[in-house]
Amino acid sequence: MLNDLAKFFSSEYVFIAANYVFFAYGIILMSFYLTGVILASRAIKRNKKKARFLQVNDIVSATDIPSVSVIAPAYNEGLTIIENVKSLLSIQYPYYELILVNDGSKDDSLEKLIKEFKLERKDATFITQPIPTATVNHIYKSTLSKFTHLTVLDKNNGGRADALNAGINFATSELVVCTDADCIIEQDALLKMVRPYLEEYNKEIIACGGGIGIANDSVVRNGVLQELRLPTNLVPMVQVVEYIRAFLLGRMAWSEINGLMLVSGAFGMYPRKRVVEVNGFDAKTVGEDLELCIRLRRLMEEKKIPYKVVYLPETLCWTEGPPDYNILIKQRDRWARGLWETLKIHKKLFLNPKYRYMGILYYPYWLFFEFGAPIIEFFGLICIIAFAFFGMINWSMAILLFTAAYIVGCVFSTAAIFMYVKNFNHYDKPKQIIELLLAAYLEPFLYHPILVYGQMKGYYKKIFGIKSGWGTMTRKGFKVSDT
Amino acid sequence: MNETNVSYFIGFVLSILVIYWISIAVSVIYRKIRVKQISRIEHTFADVVSRYLYNDPLNPLSISEINETLKSVGIRPHNKNNIQYLISLMIRTQRTILGGNYIKIKKLYTQIPPYNASFSKISSWNWYRRARGIREIYEMNQSQYLDEVVKFRNHRNIFVRREAQIAMVVFLGWESLRFLPYLKRNMTLWQQIKIVEKLYDHYPKPELKFLHRAYKTDKLFGKKLLMRIIRKFQLHSETDFILEHLIHEDYEVRETAIYCLQTFAVSSERMNFIKQIYEKVTDSSQQAQLLNYIFENSDIDLDFYLQQLYGPNEELKLNVAEILWNNGYKEKVQEFYYQQYSKKEELNAQ
Repeated sequence: MLNDLAKFFSSEYVFIAANYVFFAYGIILMSFYLTGVILASRAIKRNKKKARFLQVNDIVSATDIPSVSVIAPAYNEGLTIIENVKSLLSIQYPYYELILVNDGSKDDSLEKLIKEFKLERKDATFITQPIPTATVNHIYKSTLSKFTHLTVLDKNNGGRADALNAGINFATSELVVCTDADCIIEQDALLKMVRPYLEEYNKEIIACGGGIGIANDSVVRNGVLQELRLPTNLVPMVQVVEYIRAFLLGRMAWSEINGLMLVSGAFGMYPRKRVVEVNGFDAKTVGEDLELCIRLRRLMEEKKIPYKVVYLPETLCWTEGPPDYNILIKQRDRWARGLWETLKIHKKLFLNPKYRYMGILYYPYWLFFEFGAPIIEFFGLICIIAFAFFGMINWSMAILLFTAAYIVGCVFSTAAIFMYVKNFNHYDKPKQIIELLLAAYLEPFLYHPILVYGQMKGYYKKIFGIKSGWGTMTRKGFKVSDT
Repeated sequence: MNETNVSYFIGFVLSILVIYWISIAVSVIYRKIRVKQISRIEHTFADVVSRYLYNDPLNPLSISEINETLKSVGIRPHNKNNIQYLISLMIRTQRTILGGNYIKIKKLYTQIPPYNASFSKISSWNWYRRARGIREIYEMNQSQYLDEVVKFRNHRNIFVRREAQIAMVVFLGWESLRFLPYLKRNMTLWQQIKIVEKLYDHYPKPELKFLHRAYKTDKLFGKKLLMRIIRKFQLHSETDFILEHLIHEDYEVRETAIYCLQTFAVSSERMNFIKQIYEKVTDSSQQAQLLNYIFENSDIDLDFYLQQLYGPNEELKLNVAEILWNNGYKEKVQEFYYQQYSKKEELNAQ
C-alpha cells in the first residue's frame, strides 16, 4: 500500500493533474469572489438610495404596517435571561410581540422570568399546533401593562428548531423574526427589516436577513449596545473581519441576483404563513436555518410563485462570537454537519433545471465551494506534503504562487473592510481600522487552519456516523454597564 | 506560466491593495471633514431661521445677510452636496413649524438658495434625482409644479411614480382618488400606506363623493387602497365596501378586507351577513381570523358555533371548541368529543 502511494505521488502525471485541479478550483473561486465584490458594491449603493425613500421614522408613524413576532428560544440561560429579555423588549416597532420559548431549561430561567415580569399562567388546553412540536406545558403572560407584548411559552426540551416552531405556532402576526435570546438586536432593526415586505410588489419576500456583527468585549447597557469595541482576543477579532466579509460581500452579492440560500438563524424574518406551510424548521438537522431557507425556496419554485430572499447590508444584530479556538472548532464542526445534512436532504436540487438557477447555479456553488472548500484545502495540504516528500515541488514557484494567493485573499478582505468603513460608521477610528486590517492579514495563518480543522471534524463525524448534537457553547457575556 | 508572470501578477494585486488602503484613508478623512461641515451648516441654518422668525426690531436680519451667511458656510450653486443637505434641513424645519411662522418660513424659502433646485431635478434622467426632486416639491408644498409632477404617476421606476402619486395626494387631496385607483402599474403596500397617511395628515375631512366614484375600480390595489382609507378615516357608513370584499377571489384583497374590518364594530344585521358568507371564505387561516372577529364583536350565537364545530373544516374546530369551552358551553364541547371518540371506536370495531 505504501509503495502504491509512493508510486502515485511520484508520478509526474498525477503532479500535473493535481496542479491543474487546485489551480482551476482557485481561479473559479476567485472569480466568484470578484463578481461578489462588484455585485455587493452595486447592491449597497442601491440599497442606500432606496432607504432615502422609506425612512425609519415614516414606518414608525404608519398604521397599516405588518405585525411582527420575535421568537427567541432559551435553554438554561438563567444567568443572563432577564437582561436578554429586557433587551428584546426594548425593540422599536409599533405592532410587535416577543415570544420567549423556554425549551425545557433545567435551571431557574422560568422562575426568574415569572418573578421579574410578573407572569401569569394562561390556559394552554386549546393551543393550535400547525407544526408538531414537543409538548407546550404552559403559556405565561405578563400582568404588568408595560410588558403586555411579552409571552413566555414553557415547553419540553426539543432543541432550538423545535422551540422556534412552538413560537411560530403561537404567533398571530404576519411576520416572524427568529433570533436567539442572547442576541442584541438594534433598536430600529425590525423597522428596517420590514422595508422589503412593504416595498415589493411583484415578488413575494419569503425571507429577509440582516447583517450580524461580533460584539465581544463591547459594552451593553439596559440591553442596548452602548459602546461597540473591537474584541481584544485574536479569535473573535478575526471573526469580526470574517463576518464583515461574509455578510457584506457574500450575502449581499447573492441577494443582488436573488441567489441567497441562507438567512442566518441568529436573525431572520419570514412570513409566518409560508413557514407554517413548509412545516417550520427541521428539528432533525443542526443547520436548520439553511435548511428552512432552501425548503422555502423549493416551495416557491414548485408552486411557480415569483419570490425573493433579501439581505440588508446593515448590521442589525450583535452576537458574541466564540472567544477561543476550542469553542470555535465546536461551532464550525456543527455548521459543517448542518451543511452536510442540508445538502443531503436537498440533493434533488443538484443540476435540476426544474429549480432553475437554484438547481443549476446556487446549489452546485454551495456544494463545490462552501461544502467542498475545506475538503479541497485539506487534500491540498496532503498533496503538498506528499509531493514535497518526493521532491516534485519547485519551491521558488510554489512560494510565489502562495504569495499571490495570500495577497489576493488580503485584497478581498481589504475590499470588504473598505466597503464597511465607507458605508457604516461602526468602526470609524483609524486605530480600529488598522487592527481590523491586521487581523485580516493574520487570518490565513492563525485562524483559517483551525477553521478547516473544525469543518473536517464535522465531516468526519458524518462519514463515520458519530452522533453529535449542538455542543455546548460557553459564552463570556457582554460587559454590562450600569452608568 | 512562469515565475516572472507570477511576480508581475503579485505586483498588480499589491497595487490594488495599496489603492484600497488609500481609499480607506481618504474615506475616513473625508467623513471627518464632512461631519464638521454639516454641523456648521446645521448651526448656521438654525441660527438664521430663529433670527428670521423672531426678528429683533433693533437688529433686523435682511435676506441678503441670510444669503451671505449661508454662502459663508458653503451653500454655493456648485456645491451640490451642501445644497442637498440644506434642502433636507429646510424640509425638516418646515415640518415642525405651524401657524404664522409656517407662512413666514415658506416666504423665506422662496428667497434663499436653492432656487428651483428641486424642479430642475425632475427633468434629470437619473431616477434617484428625479424622485428626490418630486419629494422635495411636495414636502415644501410647491404646488405650482403639480402639472409637471402628475405626468410621472405611471413612470416605470417605482420610486419616481410613488413620489408622484404622493405629490398628487398632497396637492389634490380627495380629488386624487379620481386617478389613484386606476393607475396602470401595481401599487406596493408602502405606496398605499403612504397615500393614506398623507391624505389623513393633509385632508382629515372626508369627501365621500370621490370615494364613491373610486369604488368602480377593478384594480386590486385600488380596492385595497380604498379599504385602507375607510379604515383610517373610520368611515362606518362605508363598511359595506369592506364586507363585499371578504369573499373576493384574491387572497390579498380578502386579507386586507379582514384586516380593515377588525377596526369596526358592525351592526347585528351586518354581523349576520358576515356569518352567512363566513363559509364562503376559502382560506382556513382567514376563516380563523374572521371567527375571532365574530367572537369578539357579537354575543355567543350557539347555533353558528355548533354548525362550525360539526362542520367539515377540521382546522377550525379547536378554535370553535375553545370559544364554547370558555363561554359556558363545556358540555357541548364534551358531547362533540365523546361523539368523535365513539365514531372512532365504531370504525375500529368494524
